[in-house]
Amino acid sequence: MSENTPPTSHSTTTSPETSQLKIAEMEKAQSFSQIVFSQFKENKAALFGAFTIIFFVFVALGAPIIEWALGVDANTQNVFNRYKPPFSHIQASQDVREKEIENFIRRHPDAAEKIQTQLIAQNHVQPIRPEDALYEWINLESDKAIEIIEEIDTPFKNELINKVKNFNSYHIFGTDELGRDVLMRLVYGTQVSMGVGVLVALVSAFIGLLVGSMAGYYGGFIDTVLMRTTDALLSLPLLPVLVVIAAIDLQKIPFLNVITQYGNESIIKLVFILCLFSWMVVARLVRGSILSLREREFILAAKTLGATDFTIIVRHMFPNVIAPLLVAVTLGVGESILFEAALSFLGLGIQPPTPSWGNMLFNALELIYEAPFLAIIPGLLILLVVVSFNFLGDGLQDAIDPKSVKR
Amino acid sequence: MTTYIFRRIIQTVLLLIVLSYVCFNLMTLMPGDPIELMISSNPKITTEDVARLREFYGLDQPTYVRYKNWISTLLEGDLGYSRTYRIPVAEMIGPALKYTFILSMCSLILSLAIAIPLGIYCALRPNSKFDYIVNLLSFAGISAPSFWLGIVLIIVFSVKLGWLPAGGYQTTGLVYDNIFSEILDKAKYLILPVVSLSIQSIGRFSRFARSAMMEAMRNDYIRTARAKGLSENIVIWNHGFRNALIPLITIVTLSLSSVFSGALITETLFAYPGAGRLIYTSIISNDFNVAMVSFIISISMVLVMSLIADLLYGVADPRISYE
Repeated sequence: MSENTPPTSHSTTTSPETSQLKIAEMEKAQSFSQIVFSQFKENKAALFGAFTIIFFVFVALGAPIIEWALGVDANTQNVFNRYKPPFSHIQASQDVREKEIENFIRRHPDAAEKIQTQLIAQNHVQPIRPEDALYEWINLESDKAIEIIEEIDTPFKNELINKVKNFNSYHIFGTDELGRDVLMRLVYGTQVSMGVGVLVALVSAFIGLLVGSMAGYYGGFIDTVLMRTTDALLSLPLLPVLVVIAAIDLQKIPFLNVITQYGNESIIKLVFILCLFSWMVVARLVRGSILSLREREFILAAKTLGATDFTIIVRHMFPNVIAPLLVAVTLGVGESILFEAALSFLGLGIQPPTPSWGNMLFNALELIYEAPFLAIIPGLLILLVVVSFNFLGDGLQDAIDPKSVKR
Repeated sequence: MTTYIFRRIIQTVLLLIVLSYVCFNLMTLMPGDPIELMISSNPKITTEDVARLREFYGLDQPTYVRYKNWISTLLEGDLGYSRTYRIPVAEMIGPALKYTFILSMCSLILSLAIAIPLGIYCALRPNSKFDYIVNLLSFAGISAPSFWLGIVLIIVFSVKLGWLPAGGYQTTGLVYDNIFSEILDKAKYLILPVVSLSIQSIGRFSRFARSAMMEAMRNDYIRTARAKGLSENIVIWNHGFRNALIPLITIVTLSLSSVFSGALITETLFAYPGAGRLIYTSIISNDFNVAMVSFIISISMVLVMSLIADLLYGVADPRISYE
C-alpha cells in the first residue's frame, strides 16, 4: 500500500534483502496526508503551480525589501520620463533635483555658500547670480557633477555625491503613464491582487462552510431557504451583477460609510463584494458532504454519547470536509484574482494610486499603441498566478480523490 | 413535469422581483443624483425649482413608492427614456440584445466546434503527449483574463499587423452595395471579440468533453461492444460518444443561458454595442433608467434561458426525472 516505490520496481528483479525492505516499506501504513503528498509530488504541473505561488507570496511579503534593494519606489512620479521602455536609465527631473538642493541650502547655509564660491572660483559653473551656483551644478551630467564635487573641499562631499547618484534610476520594466517604476508597481500589485484573492477565498470558504453545514445538518426548512438562495445567486450572470454593486457609493450607505474613513476603502469594498458572490460553490459542496456524513455510524455514535450539534458539526464533520474544501479554496483564489482584475480593469475595483494588476492594465490601455509592454506584463502575471492556482487545485483534487490514487 | 415547470417559473419571477428591487435601491446609492446633475448644468436654478423638479420626477418619495411606480410603467410596456441620449430605452436595448446574441452565438459555435473534437481525441489517447499539451493549453485558456487576451489580440492584429479593426461593429459611413458585402464588413469586426471570448470557453469545453468521453469509455458496455468484435469506430461513436453527449448537452445549454447577458468586458474592450457594454456604459454615465432596464432584461433573459436549458436536459436524458 505504498506510493513511495516507483512503478518500475515491480518489474525489475532485485536482491532478496532489498525486496524484503521494499515489502516492509510497502506494508507500512501511510497516513492520509502522506498519500496525498506522494500523489501530489507526481503531478509536475501542480508542483510548478505550488512553486510559482510560493515565489509570488515571497514577492508580495518582501515588497519593502525589493524596494530597498532596487532603490526605486512605486509612487515617485516623473512626468518627464513617462512610458520609458524596459531596461532604461532615467535621470530625475529638474524640479526634484532643485528641491534637494534647496533643502540642502536650508539645512547648511554656511557650507552651501562656501561650495558656491568654490564652484564659481574654479570656473566650473557660470551662473548669472552667485546664489544659483549649486542649482547649476546639480543639473549637470551626473558623471561631471561628481567629478567637480570631488575637487571641492567640503565636509558634505559624500552627501552631495550620494544625492547625485540617487538621481539616476534604473527601471527594469520601464515606467508607466506617470513615470513611476513599473516593476515596483507590479510588486506592490502582487500584494494587493494576491491579498484580495486569498482573503476572498478564505472568507467565502468560511461563509460557505457555515451555510452548507447548516443546510446539510438541519435539513428541512433551513435547507430549503438556504439552498434556494444559493441556487438563485448561482443562476445570476456574475459580472453584470458585480459591476452594478461595485458602482455604488459607500458614502451614501449609513452604516458602511465608516469604512471610507480608513484610506484603502476600495480594497475593503471589493473584498466585501467578491465575498458576497463567491461562497455558493463551497456551500453546495459542504452541504453535499454533510448530507452523506449525517447518515454515517460515527455521527450516530457521537449523538448517542450526547454530543451537541456544534461538537458534531465542528469536531466530527469538518475534518471530513477539509480536503474537498481545500481544493475549492485553491480554485477560488484564482477565480477571485480574475474577478478583482476584471473589476479593476473596468475602473470599478481597486482605485489608483493603489496599484493592482487589473488597474495597471486599465491605465495601460491609454497608450496601447506606443507602450504595449505596459499592457502585456500585468496580464502575463495574472495568467501565471491564476494558472498556478488552477494547477495546484487540480493537483490537490487528483491527490485527494481516492478513485484516482495509483496503488 | 408541469409542477416542476410551474415551480421554476414562480422561483424565477420571485427572484426577478427581489433582484430588481435590490437593484433599484442600489441605483439610488450610486454617485450622482439625477437632480444634482441637472442643477450642475444650470447655475440660475433656485431651491424652489429643485424641490419642484424633485416632486415632478417623484424623487421626493421613498424608494419603495418609486419602485412601485417604475415597475408599473415598465409592465405597461413603457421602458422610459435614456437621460444621456434622449431616446426611448427600448430603441437602445433591442439592437444591443441582437448584437450580443450574434457575438455570443458565434463564440459558442466556434468554441464547441473546436473543443469537442479536441476533447474526444484526447480522451481516446489519455496521457499521450498531445493530451498533455492540450491539457496545459486548456488550463492557460481558462486562466487567461479575457480582457488581457483581447488587449493582446488588439496589439498583435490591429496595432502591429493592421489586419483587423480594433473595435466597433461596422465601418462607419460605409454604404453597403448588397447584403453580402454588409456581412463581410461586419464579420471583420466580429473576429477579434469572438476569438478572445472563445479561447476561455474552448479550454473549459475541451476539458469537459475529455472527462465526459473518458467516463463514457470506462463503462462495461464499451468492453462488451469491443468483446463482440465491433469495429473501433462504431464503439467510439455509437457507444461511447452518444453517452458522453449527455453531460456535454448540460454544459452547452448552461452556456446558452448567457448568450443574452453579454460578455461585458469583451464588449467594452472592443467597443462592441452589445447588452453588456450597454449596462456598463449606462452605469458609468449615471444613466440610471437604461442601466436598470438593460440589467433587468438581460438577467431575466439569462433566467429564462436557464429554465429552458433545464427542460432540454430532461429531453436529452430520459433518466432525469422532475419530481
